[in-house]
Amino acid sequence: MERVLLKNIENPNSAEIDEYLKAGGYRNVSKAFDMRPEDIIEEVKKSGLRGRGGAGFPTGMKWGFAIADPKFPKYLICNADEGEPGTFKDRPILERNPHLLIEGMIISAYALKAEYGYIYLRAEYPKAKEILDRAIRQAYERNYLGENILGRDVRFHLTVHQGAGAYICGEETALIDSLEGKRGQPRNKPPFPVNVGAWRMPTIVNNVETLANIPYIVEIGGEAYSKIGNPECPGPKLYCVSGHVNRPGVYELPMGTTLREIIYTHAGGIRNDKELKAVIPGGVSTPVLPASMIDCRMDFVSMPKAGSMLGSAAVIVMDETVCMVKVMHRIMKFFEHESCGKCTPCREGTGWLRRILESIEKGNGRPGDIELLRDISEDMMGKTFCPLGDGAAGALRGMLKHFEYEFEEHIAGRSRCKGG
Amino acid sequence: MAKKVGVTINGKTVKVPEGTNLIDAASQAGVEIPNLCYIKGMRGIGACRLCLVEIEGGRGPVTACTTKVKDGMVVNTDTEQLREMRQFVIDLILSMHPLDCMTCTKAGVCTLQRYAYESEIKESSFSRKKFGYPPDESNPFIKRDPEYCILCARCVRVCKEQGTNVLDFMGRGVGAKVVTANDKPLHESGCTFCGSCIDACPVNAILEADRWRKGREWDYERTHSVCLLCGGACDTVISTKDNLIMKINAGGEDGSVQRYICAIGRFGYDAVASDKRVLSPLRRVNGELKETTWEEALQLLSERLTKGKASILLTGALMNEDISTLLKVAEDVIKTDRIATTVSLYADEESMKDSDTADIDSADLILLVGLNPSQWKRVHPSLDASIRRRLSRGARLVSISSEAVDIGEVADITLRGEEPGLIKQIAKSMISKGMKANKELSELTGDTDTTEETERVADLIKEAERIVIFTSPALFRSVRNLSLIKKMDIIAVPNEANARGVVLSGIKPDGKLLKEMIEGSTEVLYVFGEPPVERRPDTGFLVVQSPYMSNLAREADLVLPSTTPYESSGSIVSFTGRVKRLSRALRPYGEAKQHREILASLAKVMGKVIKEGKTDIKKALKGRSKPSPSPFEKKEGLEIDEARFMEETNSCVINSSRLLWLREAEKAVGV
Ligand SMILES: Cc1cc2nc3c(=O)[nH]c(=O)nc-3n(C[C@H](O)[C@H](O)[C@H](O)COP(=O)(O)O)c2cc1C
Ligand code: SF4
Ligand code: SF4
Ligand code: SF4
Ligand code: FES
Repeated sequence: MERVLLKNIENPNSAEIDEYLKAGGYRNVSKAFDMRPEDIIEEVKKSGLRGRGGAGFPTGMKWGFAIADPKFPKYLICNADEGEPGTFKDRPILERNPHLLIEGMIISAYALKAEYGYIYLRAEYPKAKEILDRAIRQAYERNYLGENILGRDVRFHLTVHQGAGAYICGEETALIDSLEGKRGQPRNKPPFPVNVGAWRMPTIVNNVETLANIPYIVEIGGEAYSKIGNPECPGPKLYCVSGHVNRPGVYELPMGTTLREIIYTHAGGIRNDKELKAVIPGGVSTPVLPASMIDCRMDFVSMPKAGSMLGSAAVIVMDETVCMVKVMHRIMKFFEHESCGKCTPCREGTGWLRRILESIEKGNGRPGDIELLRDISEDMMGKTFCPLGDGAAGALRGMLKHFEYEFEEHIAGRSRCKGG
Repeated sequence: MAKKVGVTINGKTVKVPEGTNLIDAASQAGVEIPNLCYIKGMRGIGACRLCLVEIEGGRGPVTACTTKVKDGMVVNTDTEQLREMRQFVIDLILSMHPLDCMTCTKAGVCTLQRYAYESEIKESSFSRKKFGYPPDESNPFIKRDPEYCILCARCVRVCKEQGTNVLDFMGRGVGAKVVTANDKPLHESGCTFCGSCIDACPVNAILEADRWRKGREWDYERTHSVCLLCGGACDTVISTKDNLIMKINAGGEDGSVQRYICAIGRFGYDAVASDKRVLSPLRRVNGELKETTWEEALQLLSERLTKGKASILLTGALMNEDISTLLKVAEDVIKTDRIATTVSLYADEESMKDSDTADIDSADLILLVGLNPSQWKRVHPSLDASIRRRLSRGARLVSISSEAVDIGEVADITLRGEEPGLIKQIAKSMISKGMKANKELSELTGDTDTTEETERVADLIKEAERIVIFTSPALFRSVRNLSLIKKMDIIAVPNEANARGVVLSGIKPDGKLLKEMIEGSTEVLYVFGEPPVERRPDTGFLVVQSPYMSNLAREADLVLPSTTPYESSGSIVSFTGRVKRLSRALRPYGEAKQHREILASLAKVMGKVIKEGKTDIKKALKGRSKPSPSPFEKKEGLEIDEARFMEETNSCVINSSRLLWLREAEKAVGV
């Protein structure tokens, strides 16, 4: 497959505007400006593009809601918070192909009649900040940003806003609070950001990768785009593979590639000739899958059927030496630390889950602990304010579904890795 | 009125206005949905997750506080699954909360305690965690003890909504904590000690500083009353035990923006039992005030009143019933028509008589004319808080004033300049936008130009459905012209609690007469309450009838102990035109008596039996004259330094309560 999102990134100067232009960049801006905004949205709808931030919401539909709202100004926000552990798929776009993102944002802003855009960038990407700032400056100099873009009656201003290091600020409403200068905590939905978002105005939040797909959709048309990969949710997709593989990294492959192909064909298989034990397919908030299930396809439609989710397509590969209790404990520590504290079940629930997991891992588990873990995660599921709590509960439920015996062994003191 | 929709809750169908959330709808059906983070009147935030309910045909449980009714909705609040979930939430909260109900002050009124009791839990399933956060006990008003905090955010939200904005969260997850900016103590954080956060906290995390071991809530007797310490006349609930006030809370209706009292209203009661009280009649003997009996005192007064012409001075904090008796005694017994009132310092008759009755809770547009309310300066603090709350709930504000106005920071439009001219321009803009005015008024506005800003104000007025204007009394006439163009309620805001009642009872606020009494000379001067008069006026005989030993009382020839409002009953007319009742919360201290009892006894000594006077205040309220076109002018001679007036009329309360500490603290941080 021709690479779309990671095009030209081997070029050491790929982040420079001249290199980008040389490779045909920004061509789609003029093409888009020759279209009517509603036609662009129509193409995006036709393309079948689904948001790459994790939830897989159809992008065209979101945009349709946003333009249906009569309020102005509208804001376009690029979610570059990339906080889900194991996720680093947006990073190559931000650092190596920033102009693709900017081009995508200009076109999107034109389609959405948004005149101001923000890139909400995770604080832990200082290098990306520098690169983006430089790229934006260049785009202003060449009049791809600013007033009367390319001599047309279009204006779009873009700035980078750095986050403050909280996972929850990747959630779109918390992100908006944080952007507004408040302590980032999720807001009630409805109203959705497309109606009441930043400064109470209609706001479109899209992931980096989502927006980076837009120029290509304009280039080849929604129809052609919809034929890439799994027709039920098409497009090129970035998979970021980490863990016990020979070649960890970000791979651009058609949506719906199987886990097996990702791990063995592209990431070079398991390190040191060990056996594969389990895969967390989409970041730590998605349920783990055992080795026996890696023939499932990695897309928004197939993964739920396998009992997990595509999430951020952060494939975390674990070999036979891994202790699942330890993994779960580590994951829960993350959720406890990152719970924003707004709602009781998540704030207190993650805390107690972590404590129980910790005592099991340390060899102090008691009979009944598994039951308690199950009860708490059951009680949390679907009852927390935002999906962060669901993610924590869901991850644990996946673990217990496939690896309960390891927890039992730990509690019974039969585990190899006791005290580990 | 919003359209009504039908919703069935646990099998019972009720009709509620569209947009009602499920907690409120359920309560109309007589069903209580447990909740910890919901504040009636404010938007639900869905944080505690206790209010989960099931909607038939819905996907899963939803939080009732954030879900609005839809026609035909069928809701269940008490299924097995929901009970279990609630138990889980309570269980989790208990794991972070001390279980020391045996020694906790809040026991009995703690919401968490009640829910825990109802939820079949004996102990939390989780071992308890402790943070070891130190309490903030550095002021005599409010103690904050984070160890008890269940992070419901109610205090943070009420403080924000009213514009004081002192509290917020720090940290996240289990480590979240309610703090002030930089975690400074309250008195260094712009806190006004209004105590709204006390009323909001469902547990023992924010409480009056002195409550520990002052009795549990179930030992208290509660009395609904009204604070008479400034023009706000806020509703209060007084809790007493053994004839002592234990605490005062805001008494406004749940969910109302007027549910607010300031630090003076909440903590000024210390003065009641202080040594500033006058507990028996005092007469001057050889230059010194000496205790005497009521009999002797009234005898003396009667003699003096028969000998010399009496002048009467009363404050605007007297209750209607006292005023009407006073009027009767003045006419029939003392036989004087020289009655002056402190109301004349800031208001004229017309503004107090013809102000409308208004409900700020339903206003969608508020205009503020020539007023600078401020919670921080304690000038109309409750008006400031109520307006800010109303704005937080979607109303708009226009401020019109010749001075910089603090609340202007949250106004939609701020007009700075001479008020009468601006009002005139607004009137003209309204007319030019097609709102109808009669010829006379159109002519009155003929000679003025409109500006872009007054046009914008006129647009807001045009769009608005329920407009309330709060004006300084001096501008009442000018402002009232606007109500000839569009329906709106206009309220002149006085500086004392019963100023409207004083005037409606028939006392004319005659500034000249007042001046004569204070600066000229009189034969007998009979003073009711604590007027802002520091020095003894030139008078043959000075009688002061007051609960406190004010500076003026100190120089009197006769001091008669009257009761404080807490020991009195009666009614007042609030600035919004409401007749509010006070019930006696304490038996009178010492030999203090209510003004009208003293007057009745005096009449008896003077040989007349008077029945309690009666003025039909409600009828008087209805007798407002119709507005008519008037010139756009400001009435002269009604300017006062409002902050100073508040201090002076309450100097005894402030100086003999913990409010004194606040004054000192403010001086220290340079407020
Ligand atoms: C706890 C939490 C963290 C999230 N973090 C991210 C993130 O880091 N980046 C992202 O793009 N979306 C993240 N999301 C999803 C966003 O809320 C939102 O759905 C997304 O930005 C929408 O963009 P899309 O439609 O292009 O996917 C997160 C959601 C949750 C609940
Ligand atoms: S006392 Fe009033 S101002 Fe102070 S924190 Fe509480 S609510 Fe805010
Ligand atoms: S202090 Fe009280 S009101 Fe404030 S968050 Fe804690 S429990 Fe809630
Ligand atoms: S605002 Fe005035 S009336 Fe209200 S509590 Fe304070 S002093 Fe009393
Ligand atoms: S009252 Fe609804 S979540 Fe707290």
